[in-house]
Amino acid sequence: MANSILALCRHAPYGNTLAREGLEAILACAAMDQIPAVLFTGDGVYQLLEQAPEAINEKSLRRNLQAMPMFGIEHIHVCEKSAETRGIATDALQLAGAEIVLLADTGAFIRDFDQVLSF
Amino acid sequence: MQFTLVVYGAPHSSEGAATALRFARATLAAGHSIYRVFFYADGVHNGSALAAPPQDEQDLLGHWQSLQQDHALDLTVCIAAAQRRGLLSESEANRLEKPSANLAAGFSLAGLGQLAEAAAVSDRLISFGG
Repeated sequence: MANSILALCRHAPYGNTLAREGLEAILACAAMDQIPAVLFTGDGVYQLLEQAPEAINEKSLRRNLQAMPMFGIEHIHVCEKSAETRGIATDALQLAGAEIVLLADTGAFIRDFDQVLSF
Repeated sequence: MQFTLVVYGAPHSSEGAATALRFARATLAAGHSIYRVFFYADGVHNGSALAAPPQDEQDLLGHWQSLQQDHALDLTVCIAAAQRRGLLSESEANRLEKPSANLAAGFSLAGLGQLAEAAAVSDRLISFGG
């Protein structure tokens, strides 16, 4: 049986290209029917806030994020503590077509997967 | 045990690039196998044939190439990440009408599907840098 895969999104959008390239890799895995679970943690939680990157001539990550439910990723896991420590109200974290699942214990969650792709 | 290494660190910039090389050597020396080394994000620069570090510094490219030759390693560079950063094979340089190619011998360009497949079939997947 193929491995279960978890993708971690750890980087703030636009500050580090791994934010975008991580989402691209997640979509590529899903397109190959290796649908990963996805967990936004650390500065990665900023990816789920509304963004206006046109101001810095960057392409929005929204399109990549919004493609996830279409590729079968219907649950977006978020580290509750990461949001809290950054002063982000968890109801500000939204993704159309997906359910935001807040995790209090990310360690226990991560432990259940065979592989972790860390972006 | 079968390992896949994912390298996000650029050589001579992130220690992750050199750590990946040492990890690869240690893995093989311990009798394990490496299914694939996948270079992604800034890690694609590891595949540049044009790196010319000072002589008293480690030559990461040369080390990767000799490891590749000794063990027939699969060194795959993500094609999309490589194009963004100016790492091109002959055929990509021609196709994109760029003045030169710089993908080093021993490395090959491929899509993200190679990462997905490696994650699915390897016993362990380890990330370096990023």
